[in-house]
Amino acid sequence: MRAMFTYLQNRLRLMRGNVTLSPRLAVYYVTMQCNLNCVYCEDFGSRRNHLVTPNPTLENAKKILKVIRTGVDRLWLTGGEPLMHPGIVELLEYARNDLKFGEISLITNGTLLSKVGGRALTTEFTESTEKKLLKSSVDSVLSVVKYLDRLIISLDSVDPQALNTVSVPDVYAETVIANAREAAALQKIHNFKLILNAVITPETLSGMDMLLAFCTENNVHISFSPQSVNNLPRYELVTSPEYRAFIEKVIRLKKQGAPIMGSFSYFKVLLDQTPYECYPTLIPRIMPDGWLAYPCRPMEKAGGEQGGRAVNLLSVETWDDAWRIAKGKYGEAPTSCVSCFQQCYAEPSLMQARPLEYLSERLHGNDVSVYAPG
Amino acid sequence: MHPDNALESEVSRLRNSNDWSRWSPDAIIIGGGVAGLSAALHLAERGLKPLILEADKKFIGGRLAGGETIKIGEHSFRLEHGVHGIWSQYRNLQAMLARHSLRPVFVPAQEENWIYKEGSFVGMTAVGSAIRYSLFPAPVHYLQLFLRGGFLWMLDIRDWASLFSVWGGLIMAVGIDPFAENQPMEGMTLGSMTKHWSPALKSFFLGLARNGLSSHPNEVSISGFIAFLRFYTLMRRDAWMFSYLPEEGGTCLCEPLSAKVTELGGRVRLGCRVKRVAQESGEWQVTWDTSEGEESACAAEVILATDPNNAKKILSASFDGMDELFFPRALSNAVIRLWFDRKPSRTAEAGIFTGDFTVHNYFWLDRLYNPFRRWARETNGSALEVHVYGPPEVLSQPDAVLLTRAIMDVEQAFPELRGHRIGQHLQRNPETHTLPTVGPKEKHLGIETPWKNLFCAGDWVRHPAPSFFLERACLTGIEAANAVLASRGLPKWTLVEYLPAEPFVAWIEKLMVKGRNRRKQRTASR
Repeated sequence: MRAMFTYLQNRLRLMRGNVTLSPRLAVYYVTMQCNLNCVYCEDFGSRRNHLVTPNPTLENAKKILKVIRTGVDRLWLTGGEPLMHPGIVELLEYARNDLKFGEISLITNGTLLSKVGGRALTTEFTESTEKKLLKSSVDSVLSVVKYLDRLIISLDSVDPQALNTVSVPDVYAETVIANAREAAALQKIHNFKLILNAVITPETLSGMDMLLAFCTENNVHISFSPQSVNNLPRYELVTSPEYRAFIEKVIRLKKQGAPIMGSFSYFKVLLDQTPYECYPTLIPRIMPDGWLAYPCRPMEKAGGEQGGRAVNLLSVETWDDAWRIAKGKYGEAPTSCVSCFQQCYAEPSLMQARPLEYLSERLHGNDVSVYAPG
Repeated sequence: MHPDNALESEVSRLRNSNDWSRWSPDAIIIGGGVAGLSAALHLAERGLKPLILEADKKFIGGRLAGGETIKIGEHSFRLEHGVHGIWSQYRNLQAMLARHSLRPVFVPAQEENWIYKEGSFVGMTAVGSAIRYSLFPAPVHYLQLFLRGGFLWMLDIRDWASLFSVWGGLIMAVGIDPFAENQPMEGMTLGSMTKHWSPALKSFFLGLARNGLSSHPNEVSISGFIAFLRFYTLMRRDAWMFSYLPEEGGTCLCEPLSAKVTELGGRVRLGCRVKRVAQESGEWQVTWDTSEGEESACAAEVILATDPNNAKKILSASFDGMDELFFPRALSNAVIRLWFDRKPSRTAEAGIFTGDFTVHNYFWLDRLYNPFRRWARETNGSALEVHVYGPPEVLSQPDAVLLTRAIMDVEQAFPELRGHRIGQHLQRNPETHTLPTVGPKEKHLGIETPWKNLFCAGDWVRHPAPSFFLERACLTGIEAANAVLASRGLPKWTLVEYLPAEPFVAWIEKLMVKGRNRRKQRTASR
């Protein structure tokens, strides 16, 4: 109900010409540390662990979530690899039991969902890496899923060789697949949805069918996102007939009822990279140390005059205060942006801008509230 | 190091070092604008060693180059030619930039205003968002404008009376694709087509065309105008989506592109004005002037990527019979920048001036470019850039007169800024701005030329793609690189396709093309 209220409220704002919309959800980067080193990742990866912001203390992370909760009902926890934060389980428990977020999702690479996996993986790293950070913070899949509505595992292929091409060693692939199977079996018991998120790269494209089969076999949903380079779908994909054929196939399979997340509108955008009206404030990002990335992550990262780390949530009491300060510093968020085609921004923006398509998606029973992490 | 300095030191190193004489290019590219840079980059990515020869002594990038720095008070601002951004259909340019992680985070256009003056009447209304977010499908998406009070206020009874003839003219553009069909439509200009249109609507569409084509209507060929309409607005609503560069083009695009060419093994030389090309023992010899005298180099392939005037000049000095060929015209224009110590009270970040104004469009730089935005944040000032595209008798006026007329126009549109001007600068651009025109196929040079292994690139080159300006320069640059690659048996680059027409307009187009074909058949059978 609250989500629908926010949707309608935002429609009214758009009709009045106000493009700074209320968030559908907030994304909190629990940590920037990561134990994988995927070649396509432009933000994180173990190669950048020594450069990025250190983990926030559990106390600060809780304070940040508390401020977020004053304005947002739905929470995504991501990273880096969020399970590398030593207090992740406690943080999830706090978000669920104390702050009572209406919906909580966790995005993980799936390697650290069990102690066994965690131990196996730490051996892969060099001495210069802080091994203590690489240890799993959780005992088992069960210890996190009980707090979640959605567990999103990033997995680009079930073929270890294909994963090698994006710098994921065999040992990870086997661990993630085992953990995904375990999580899939727990879905009904613990009432959460497991979603695999696959980044389509020219190297992993041929293995997507296997991944789809894995999802169908294990009753798992899947979302797709094309590999981005410099915020644009990779050239080798957009000029590839195979990529186009795959997206067309995804649309066809989705129409036939395959467990594929994302709206038809989004897949049409993926097919041709058609421009869309972007409303970045629908899905705000908060960095580990509490800084709000305003108005969106690409603009914040660019570090120009359009946006930046506008306000630290540790220095304010409420979500509204934070946004007032951010808008005061950088002005209203822009729209009509063609700077990125990330699903996390495209999907909610498309649904917000096109109410008839939103209605149609809902009538088809599509869950359009989940998007690829981007 | 500033990119300028990096370039200059590279050029200086090349001039002074012995390795220059030992380094022989695989291909020579004449002209370091977007076309030349695109061609060089695509060759260098395939492992070839391109040499770019740019006539400008200081700046790479042609019409997108950065310029000198001027001071207004304590603050420095870099000048440029006046190209501020890209349209959503500039897909190959964006793909090229992204592939090398050179694509900036753009500044999305929010709104464009139309400022119209007729006699003592001056009106201003927002038009851009109505076109790109119209509820009506293309090509009737302009109807959304008629739902806006501000737009209706600009019209009078004559405009309503001529509405159907205006619409008929626009619909005509749906049925003809001048670039793909190579339709010169000789003898017709935009001015003659709109001669009987009503004042405000005529002024509006001429303003759009002038804004898009940067030329005076009497000089715009009808083929160029129709192609412009089709690419930028008529076939898709979202084609009108525009994004500004976050800095001037030299800093944020051309200098990084040039550095990338160098990084990949190519070379860039400034201050080399090419005089002629000649075939010598199966190779092309290119001869150019520098400040230190004449130089030359040989390569198997040459790509001529200059503006049309310089292309004609070089070819005329190299071959006979150049008067037979068709070269689109290149025009000059004037760019005026004004700084104020306060902000205007009401306006979009950009827009068009039409009717009885001297200036033709405007951009509030303090809402676009990072250096201007920083300055505006610190001082609460504003900075406006206006362009004057003609006619020639206006452009030929002395600087002081042109500047005064521009200031008067601006103060009429934004009276709250009277008495608040703190700086001004007038820049006259040379005749390098292409007036898009379709020439007869046998006379208008395409990528391939009558001379083996001499290829052309640039926004003036004949090519069936619908694109314009920066995108056309990039696309023809890639195509010229592909021609070189093909001659060497290397894999070509795939072009990114343009977005198709919206379904309704595509259906109308299909009907009109069918009708034209039937008429042709009937005429032929008679």
